[in-house]
Amino acid sequence: MIGNITLGQYIPGNSVLHRLDPRSKIIWTLLLMIAVFVINSWQEYVIMGAFIALLLVISGIPAKQSLKGLKPLVVILAITAILNIFFVQGTPIVQLGPVAITYEGVASAVMLFLRLVMLVVAASLMTLTTTPMALTDGIEHMLKPMERIGVPAHEIAMMMSIALRFIPTLMEETERIMKAQASRGADFDTGNLIKRIKSFIPVLVPLFVSAFKRADELAEAMEARCYRGSKGRTRLKQIRFTSLDIKACIVGVLFMVLLFGARFVSL
Amino acid sequence: MIEFRDVRFEYRTQGEGQAATPAVNGITERIGEGEFVAILGRNGSGKSTMARLMNALLLPTGGTVWVDGMNTQDGDMLWEIRKTLGMVFQNPDNQIVSTTVEEDIAFGPENLGIEPAEIRRRIDEAARYVGIEEHMHHSPHMLSGGQKQRVAIAGILAMEPKCIVLDESTSMLDPRGRKEVISLVRRLNREKGITIVLITHHMEEAIHADRIMVMENGRIIMKGTPREIFARVDELKKAGLNVPHVTRFMYELKKKGLVHSGTVLTVEEAEESLKKVLDGAVTTFRPAAFAGPAEDTRDVIVRIRNLTHVYMPGTAFERKALDGVSMDIKRGEILGIIGHTGSGKSTLVQHLNGLLKPTSGSIEVDGMECTGKTLKELRQKVGLIFQYPEHQLFEETVYKDIAFGPSKMGLPEEEIKKRIKHVISILGLSENLLDKSPFELSGGQKRRVAIAGVLVMEPEVLVLDEPTAGLDPRGSDEVFSFLTRLNRTNGTTIVIISHSMEQIAAYCDRVAVLNRGRLEMLDTPRNVFSNEELLRRIGLDVPEITRLFRNLAGAGYPVSGNVLTIPEAVDEIAAIVRAQKTGEGGMAR
Repeated sequence: MIGNITLGQYIPGNSVLHRLDPRSKIIWTLLLMIAVFVINSWQEYVIMGAFIALLLVISGIPAKQSLKGLKPLVVILAITAILNIFFVQGTPIVQLGPVAITYEGVASAVMLFLRLVMLVVAASLMTLTTTPMALTDGIEHMLKPMERIGVPAHEIAMMMSIALRFIPTLMEETERIMKAQASRGADFDTGNLIKRIKSFIPVLVPLFVSAFKRADELAEAMEARCYRGSKGRTRLKQIRFTSLDIKACIVGVLFMVLLFGARFVSL
Repeated sequence: MIEFRDVRFEYRTQGEGQAATPAVNGITERIGEGEFVAILGRNGSGKSTMARLMNALLLPTGGTVWVDGMNTQDGDMLWEIRKTLGMVFQNPDNQIVSTTVEEDIAFGPENLGIEPAEIRRRIDEAARYVGIEEHMHHSPHMLSGGQKQRVAIAGILAMEPKCIVLDESTSMLDPRGRKEVISLVRRLNREKGITIVLITHHMEEAIHADRIMVMENGRIIMKGTPREIFARVDELKKAGLNVPHVTRFMYELKKKGLVHSGTVLTVEEAEESLKKVLDGAVTTFRPAAFAGPAEDTRDVIVRIRNLTHVYMPGTAFERKALDGVSMDIKRGEILGIIGHTGSGKSTLVQHLNGLLKPTSGSIEVDGMECTGKTLKELRQKVGLIFQYPEHQLFEETVYKDIAFGPSKMGLPEEEIKKRIKHVISILGLSENLLDKSPFELSGGQKRRVAIAGVLVMEPEVLVLDEPTAGLDPRGSDEVFSFLTRLNRTNGTTIVIISHSMEQIAAYCDRVAVLNRGRLEMLDTPRNVFSNEELLRRIGLDVPEITRLFRNLAGAGYPVSGNVLTIPEAVDEIAAIVRAQKTGEGGMAR
């Protein structure tokens, strides 16, 4: 059942990572992601990998859980790996007619694979240790300074959290409508592309109708609970930059310096 | 607490030239502090509009509404009014804002600008009060309907209101969820003195109210205590409503002169009053034992063998929804399926037309295995109607929508036209609806159009998942009357999932009881409902009337313990009283 898929995949816990301010986690994740793309030597790969593994251990999240995000990427991963293996020029290992598997090809395929794994694990470290609410809160706060130039920070965050809240509901609904129309003889699986797209009209129309109805009712319910935008609103969970966050940031910066500093030193 | 002074409300009409029909038409009414008021009325009678007028979601177009001394038209008081009067809506999904229970309960107080520490205290207290504290960090969409509504109530409690309005908040819930919500609401009223306005069309829920108001066409047509209101059985019936089953039963007895008690509201009261009548019945008179199920010679249309279904096998969410179910569905029968939410009812029926494939075991419809090849044929043979089928309407006109299935079947236009005419006549829809947009229709009409869209494919087996959910009493009666008509005239086999034991008892030939994915029993309603031990273990109800008679039989009175319907029950009592009289007559001689 689609309903079981959790978008915010938060796993409750009490590790250092769980306790960090979402803002520092967002910054951290961004830094890690950039780092993953910048690294290019085996040594850097090892350091980076070890560091992310260390974070994973600290977070107490089972590795299996954090690797789950790779699943939808498997196909893309496989295709790019194959392309890399066969089409990167260099010293051939095996010659297969016109194409050759090269040492460089295999190396770049492996690097690509490792990069993606690190990327997914780094990102999941954030989503698995932060509630979706805290994440949107963090984004809201980070956008706050831009409110002066007209960025509706609160509204964006509210929209994001409502979207998060309703995605499972709407997915369930899609499944239900598809089943209902299939029972009436609708066929989603055969025919050419245009025919298939057309066959989704009986699903999309009711889905939109219901989404609008939900939006209406939700707006009413929010109003009835005195919602009036960010004005005068307090939060149950005040996100606070603590000494822990400062330490985390220092560690982060130190790590980056060491990682890339090594590059200049060895040069 | 709430005061309506000659309140009128008209919705702006979209169509030009149409006279605006007032949704609320000149209501003057007072609801006192700490009162528990139930508002009854058919769909579209103006109940929900009343609710929205109370917390200024709508403003009256005439007259004034006062809440705790504040005029709802006074813009400055808006938030104060909404803080004082909280509202719980119908659809539990559409009023939960946040991704965790805790944050959702906090939403109201956050909007009021309350200090975080105080919010914390309030939400903990509210969650404890509604009994949801162990789910604080869960995602709301993992909760049951009843739990979601309790979260919604907690969210309001955290704003410390003086009054809570529930706008059909129980209509989308199963019986368990309904009980949870109603007992919570009664507790709030009793313990915290919170004024309750309960809008519902479940009559049983209204018996606990201090006062009932009955609405029709934007007016209050009756008001009084539950006992006063439910005494007026015929008037309520005319308004498309109903009375609780025992009330109705005692009313019938009274009409026949068999009892002389006042209006009764509960099984216990009926018991007391019947005991008086039956006390004289010292005879060992027993009405003729009900015949056991006659040997069923009808042939099998659906054969289910050892059916097991596992959702998301091999993942953390793996769940066995059906576990080795074997049963036959006979041609031409009306089969009821009962069981709690999550017992596997919906999973089972989705196998009947191949929407789900068995994980193991087999299912055969009219000799066809449900595999890919025969799928199309299978879906013509088995029509499946989901809960709230009106949510699947999509075409520009009613005609086109009903024609969707048959045109997919490749029927010629002439045939489709003929079938549609036939189907809408069975369903009691008028032909001039055909050119309208399905989205313009009333709720009950939409439901029937959606059902027509399946019936028009002329299925041999019609499967309905809670076909009367959300309908008012008259709407429900109408659905069942055309289902029985369809069954009698066309011989259509009908499979109904229902939570209403009264409906099952009154209309079904056989009942399948599901529990945790297993078939616990498959028998006549009479045999199923006399299996006390089983039903108690599963926690399913029996029809009120059955409960009443079982209690009486248990107390040693000479009545049959397995009476199912009101007419049966009336006959039973009449027979006993008659026997009593002839007995006395005999002694006199």
